[in-house]
Amino acid sequence: MKFLRPLCTFLFGLAVLLFFGLAYPHHLHYQEQFQLFLFDSTYVWEIVREPGGVADLLGRFTTQFFLYAWVGALIIAILLTAIQLLTLRLINVQWLYGLSFMPSFLLWLFLLDENALMGGVWAVLLTQLAAWAILSLAKGWTRRILLMAAIPVLYFLVGPVCLPIPIDSLWIGAHYHRYPTVFPWLLWGAAFSIWGLMGITLLIRHFPKHFSLHSPLSTLLLTALVAVIMGSIVWKNANYRAEAVMQYDFMARHQQWNRILETVNKEKPNNQIGVTVQNLALAMHGVLLDQLFNYNQNGIAGLLPDVKEDATSPLPTAEAFYQLGMINVTQRTVFEAQEAILDFQKSGRCYKRLAQTNLINGQYEVARKYLSALQKTLFYRDWAEETLPLLGDEEAITRHPEYGRLRKMADDEDYYFSDHVTPEMLETLFFHNTDNGLAYQYLVAYYMLTGDRDGYQNFISSIKQ
Amino acid sequence: MKTMKRYIYSYTLVLAAAIWLLSSCAGHPDVPASSKEAKCLPAIFPDYCDVTIPCNIAPLNFMLPADEYDECVARLTTPDGSQQTYGKGVKVQIPLQEWRDMLTAAKGQSIKVEVWGQKMNGEWLSFNPFEIRVAPEPIDDYVSYRLIEPSYVAWTFMEIAQRNLTSFEETQVFNNEITMNDREKGQCINCHSYQNYKTDNMLFHVRLSNSGTVIVNDGKVSKVNMKRDYTISSGVYPSWHPTEKLIAFSTDITRQGFHTLNPNKLEVYDEASDLILYDVKTDSVQVVSNDSTLLEVYPTWSPDGKYLYYCKSVPLPEEMNGKDIRTTYPKIQYNLYRRSFDVATHHFGDEELVYDAAAQNKSATLPRISPDGRYLLFAQGQYGCFHIRHNDGDIVCMPLDQGFPLTQSIDLSKVNREGRPDSYPSWSSNGHWIMVASRREDGNFCRVYFSYFHDGKAEKAFLMPQEDPELNTFLLKSYNRPEFMVEPVKISVDEFSKVFDK
Repeated sequence: MKFLRPLCTFLFGLAVLLFFGLAYPHHLHYQEQFQLFLFDSTYVWEIVREPGGVADLLGRFTTQFFLYAWVGALIIAILLTAIQLLTLRLINVQWLYGLSFMPSFLLWLFLLDENALMGGVWAVLLTQLAAWAILSLAKGWTRRILLMAAIPVLYFLVGPVCLPIPIDSLWIGAHYHRYPTVFPWLLWGAAFSIWGLMGITLLIRHFPKHFSLHSPLSTLLLTALVAVIMGSIVWKNANYRAEAVMQYDFMARHQQWNRILETVNKEKPNNQIGVTVQNLALAMHGVLLDQLFNYNQNGIAGLLPDVKEDATSPLPTAEAFYQLGMINVTQRTVFEAQEAILDFQKSGRCYKRLAQTNLINGQYEVARKYLSALQKTLFYRDWAEETLPLLGDEEAITRHPEYGRLRKMADDEDYYFSDHVTPEMLETLFFHNTDNGLAYQYLVAYYMLTGDRDGYQNFISSIKQ
Repeated sequence: MKTMKRYIYSYTLVLAAAIWLLSSCAGHPDVPASSKEAKCLPAIFPDYCDVTIPCNIAPLNFMLPADEYDECVARLTTPDGSQQTYGKGVKVQIPLQEWRDMLTAAKGQSIKVEVWGQKMNGEWLSFNPFEIRVAPEPIDDYVSYRLIEPSYVAWTFMEIAQRNLTSFEETQVFNNEITMNDREKGQCINCHSYQNYKTDNMLFHVRLSNSGTVIVNDGKVSKVNMKRDYTISSGVYPSWHPTEKLIAFSTDITRQGFHTLNPNKLEVYDEASDLILYDVKTDSVQVVSNDSTLLEVYPTWSPDGKYLYYCKSVPLPEEMNGKDIRTTYPKIQYNLYRRSFDVATHHFGDEELVYDAAAQNKSATLPRISPDGRYLLFAQGQYGCFHIRHNDGDIVCMPLDQGFPLTQSIDLSKVNREGRPDSYPSWSSNGHWIMVASRREDGNFCRVYFSYFHDGKAEKAFLMPQEDPELNTFLLKSYNRPEFMVEPVKISVDEFSKVFDK
C-alpha cells in the first residue's frame, strides 16, 4: 500500500492530463478565447474586490495558459491531483483513500462543461488549503474560533464554495460559470463532498469498532470502484461533438487550411461551423468549386451563415469575411461576438482581429488601443509589439503578405450589410478586384448551392463584358 | 550614554530616509540640470496647452508619449510666484489638494507650465512653456454619462455613471448587471435626463426585458410605460420642462444600417418619429406633433419653459418618396423649429422655423438653449440625425438675438475637430461651459470635452481630466450622452433595481 496510493494518485493525474490533452484540447482553447487576462492593476483590482475574486483571478490567470492545450491539461491535472491529496489529508482515514478522489472527479465532471470556469476549481483548492492549515496548526477552541473566523474571509476570497449551502441567492453572481444564473451543481457537489467526507471521518472516529475496514484489499477495491464509476461517468458525459466543432473553429482561427482538409477527409463535418470552415479551407486551396459537392453542404448557410447574436458561431464566419476582404463586416461580426460573451469578459482572439481590421482600414489609433491592451498579456504581447510599428506605415502594410493583400481585396463601393450576405455583395467584391479568387469561388458556389442559373448566367455575362 | 546616542543617530537617519522616500513618493522631481531647447510646445496628452479651465476642475494630469520619452517633468508656477514640480515616468499627476491651492491662487489669471521630457537616448528636451488660464466661473460639479462599448447591435454590461468634476470620483447611477445575468431577460439602459440640472426629478430608459422609463419624481422612483395606442413608440429622446412636471419626448422607430466601406461605419436613422408631452403627475401622454410624412425629433425646452425647440426633417424630393429609407437617408436633412408653450393650458403655438439647415445643405440636430436664453447650440452634419457617427459632425452656436431663421453663427473652430464626429452639445448651468461628446481622438471611442464660453466666444476645448491620463487611451468604452448636473444622483443602484421587482 505504501507505493500503491501515490501510484493511484499519479495515475489519476495522468488520466486527467491525457484526457484534456488528447480528448478535450479544443475545450481548453475555447475557454481561453473568451477571456483576456491583463497584467494590469486596474484589471486585477476590478476582479479581486468582488466576493470570490481571488479564486476568480487565479482561474483567469491559469486559463490564459489554455492557449496551449497541453499546458492547460497539465494545470488541470495538477490542481485536481492537489485537491485529491488535500481531501485525503483532511479526512485523514487512510482506508477511505478511494473516496478522496470524489471531489476531484466531480470537478472533472464540472470542467466537461465548456462554460464552467477555473475559478471554481481554485475556490475548492483554496478552501481546502485554508482548512488544512487551520486543522494542522491549531487545536481545541483555537481551531474552532479560527474556523469560524475563516469562513467570512474565505467567502470574500473564494466565494460561496467555502460554505456549500445550495441557496441560489448565495451562488448567483459568483463567477464559477459563464452563465451567471446557472447553479453549478457539480461544483457545489465537489465542495459539499469534502464536508461530507469530513463528516464521515468524524463518525468513524466516534465509532471505531463499527468501521474497521483496514485491509489493503478493501482500500484497493474501494479505490477501483470509485475510479471505474466516476471514470465512466466522466467519459460518458464528455461532449465530443462539441469538441469536434471547437476543433474546426480552432483550425479556422489559426488558418490551418491543410489540417482542416485532412480532418474533413477523415470524417465529413455535419454541423454548421464545420461546414463553414471546410468550405473556407477548400476555397483557400482554390478547389471549392471543384469539390463543393464531394462534402456535406448546408445550403448557403454552410457558406457564409447569417450572423447570429452569440459569441461562438460568428467567429468562423468572420474568418471567412476576413479572408474575402470584407473588413468592416469582419470587424462588426467580431465585435458583436465579443459583446455576446456571457460573463462580460473580453477575448484575446477578438482583440487581435479588431486590431487587424482597424489596421487594414487605416484606423491606426483604434488599432493602437487594442494593441496596447494586448501588450499587457502574456501570450499576445509579442504579436502586439511586432504589429505596433506597422501603424501608419503605409508601405510596410502594403508589403505585408496578409494586410497588403486584404487591402487590395477590400470593397471600394459602400453598401449596407445587416446579417445576410447576398450574391450582389460578393459580385461587387469580385469586380472591384478580379484577383479576388475567394470572392469568385464563394459567388459561384452561392449560385451552385441555390441553383440560381439566371444569376450565374448574368454573372458570367458581366465577366465577359 | 553612548548606546543612547547611537540609537538617536540611527533613528535620525531612518527618519531622514523615510522623509526623503515620502517626498519622492509625492512626485516633486528636480528640474533637469541641463536640457536642449525643443522650440515647440510639448506633445502632451491630453492637449492642455493654452486652455481655459474652470476654477473648480480636477487636476489636469497629462503625459508625454511613452514610446518617445522615458521621463517627464513639469513645473507649474502660479501668479503669486509659487512653484512646484511634478512627474513620475512619462506622467504628470498632481495631488488634488495642491492643485486646488494652485487654482485658488490663479483664479482669473493663469498657471504657467514648463515641461521637460527625457528622450529614450537619455537626452532632456525643454519645451516652450504654455499657460493654463483659470476662469473665475466654476463648472457644474457633476456630469453623468453612459459608459458603453461603441457598439453596433449587441451590447454587454453597461452603466450610467456620474463623475465628480472637482475630483476623480466616479460612481454608478445604474447598471444592467443584475438584469444582464440572464441574456433572455437582458436590458439596455439609455437616455438619462435631469430637470434643470438637478437630480430629484430625473429619468432613464430601460429597453427590452421589463422595459419602461424609470422616473424619479421628487425623489420617488417609479417605472412607467409611455406607449399608447396613438403613439408609434414609448418615449425616446427626453427633455424635462425646466419648472413643471412635464417631459417632452420624441417617439421613434429607429433602425441601424452597417456600412461596408464608409468610415462612419454605421447609420442610425428613424423610419418614423413624432413628439409627445408626458405629464408626470397624471401619467398622461399628449401628442405634440405627428406628421406621418416628416420626422420630428430631439425636443428641448427654452430655459424659461415658454418654447419647445425640436428638429424636423424637410420633405424629400418627390422622386424619392416611397423609396426604401436605406437609399434615401443621405438626403434626409433636419431643420430646427420651435413652438410656444402655454404652461397653464399645455397648448402649443404655431411652428416657427429657427434655422434652415437644409438651405445650407446641412442637417441640424440636438438643439440646446443657453441658460441665459441668448445662444443656441446644436450638432450639424450633412445629413441624418445621428452626427456622433458622422465624421463631418460639428457643433454650431448661434446667437438668438438676430431674428428667425438664424443665419449668423459664432466661431467654434476651437471647439470642433475637423473630420471627426463632434456631437451632443450642452451648456453648464451657468452658461460658461460647453460640453461636447467627440470621437476626435481616434474616430471610434467617444470622450467628453469642455470649452469655456464667455461674451460669445468659445475657447479651446479640453478633454475631461482623469486621474491616470492614460485611461483616456486604454478605456475601450465610449462616454455616451454626457449631461451636466449640479448635484449627484442620490438614489442607489439597488433602489433603482427595486422598481423592476414590482
